[in-house]
Amino acid sequence: MAADADAGASAAVTTDREGTHDEPLPGTPTADAGLGWAVAGLLLVVALAALTRFLTTNVPTWTEGTAFGDVAESVEFPVYAIALGLLGNAVLVATHLKDRLAAGFRTELFIKTGVVLLGASVNLSLIVTAAVPAIVQALALVSSVFLFTWWWGGRFGLDDKLRALLATAVSICGVSAAISAAGAVQAKREQLAYAATLVIVFALPSIFLLPWLADVLDLTPAVAGAWIGGNIDTTAAVAAAGTIAGEDALAIAAIVKSTQNVLIGVVAVALTAWFAFRVERRPDAEAPGGGEIWRRFPKFVLGFLAASVIATVYTSNVGPDAAKPVIAVANDLRTLFFILAFVSIGLELRVRSLRTAGWRPVVVFGAAAVFNLVVGLGLSTVLFRGFEA
Amino acid sequence: MSVQKSSPAAEPAGTPVRRAQRLHLSEDWLATVVGLVLLVLVLTGVITGPVVP
Repeated sequence: MAADADAGASAAVTTDREGTHDEPLPGTPTADAGLGWAVAGLLLVVALAALTRFLTTNVPTWTEGTAFGDVAESVEFPVYAIALGLLGNAVLVATHLKDRLAAGFRTELFIKTGVVLLGASVNLSLIVTAAVPAIVQALALVSSVFLFTWWWGGRFGLDDKLRALLATAVSICGVSAAISAAGAVQAKREQLAYAATLVIVFALPSIFLLPWLADVLDLTPAVAGAWIGGNIDTTAAVAAAGTIAGEDALAIAAIVKSTQNVLIGVVAVALTAWFAFRVERRPDAEAPGGGEIWRRFPKFVLGFLAASVIATVYTSNVGPDAAKPVIAVANDLRTLFFILAFVSIGLELRVRSLRTAGWRPVVVFGAAAVFNLVVGLGLSTVLFRGFEA
Repeated sequence: MSVQKSSPAAEPAGTPVRRAQRLHLSEDWLATVVGLVLLVLVLTGVITGPVVP
């Protein structure tokens, strides 16, 4: 009986009949939200980011010598940013302002700009050295996690389109991948909203869990970074976890995550063809061209590489001592964009669609996340053992 | 009578999923340009430490 109820609820994300029609998709404004509301939303993000910066700087001083002093000293800015974002989220939901202001919560834009700036602090030689293990890990992890999630989703009777969205999201890069997959398989908006929500709900605890586990397991910074980059779904959450794990782990996590991001285009094109010719067997379908891979290619990865090249050339020209304070300014800017992204990720979280979707997709996604965690740890340990970040 | 071919990825323009996809792709380029411009401004000394709050 309970299972039937859950199955019925699960249909809310697979049909047009009910559910979350009014649920805005990630990063897209609602119909009645104008530019003024978007600017107001952006100002809110900036205000909470300023408060994050203020708390990160002052809380350790305020609590010095108290029982909370040692804890406050070790709390990094992602913790304050996400907590303030979630707090703001609760206030906006209570005041019914969230949907109007949501257009200003630009997590993807902020985090991608931050990742481009991160490229300035990653020496090109590190990217070149890490490229081979990162590519091997990405190919093995993406294909195994995708196939596992697809199979497991089938065992739980999920709709094929939702299976494709969840499998792509958990195996590649969360919300970005879900958006690409939604276009490829022509998913419904409530399915995309649901997949995006699941990604963020699972990513938030991972931000704190993985760096802690890496510490408990005594992983090297390179292995920890590769594990974080290969496992956490959204790039914003990878950046947050990497920041907590340390600068060296963050660099490797960014390289590994960027490598996975590159696979979005390939997977989206494969899904497009698979759904058209094998799942739906549309007689009028055309095969997707190679241009589709480029169209879906995450261009900010090129920005990350370009920033690394520019900064490496700059450093070799002016010398490491002169370059260090200048690159530090770029790092400070990167931190600002990361804070904006972490605040936005907290503000954007929506749990409404999860309530209507039932337990099956949650179980599928949860099992896939655990599978990803275990296989990812094995691959990171083998591929990045002895690697110097 | 011509049979209209539909690309497998094709979806009616203006649908929410399509809009999200378009916005996502344009933000990719915007982030790349903004990030690189900021880096160049830092390296050329236009943005220095005190400018960052």
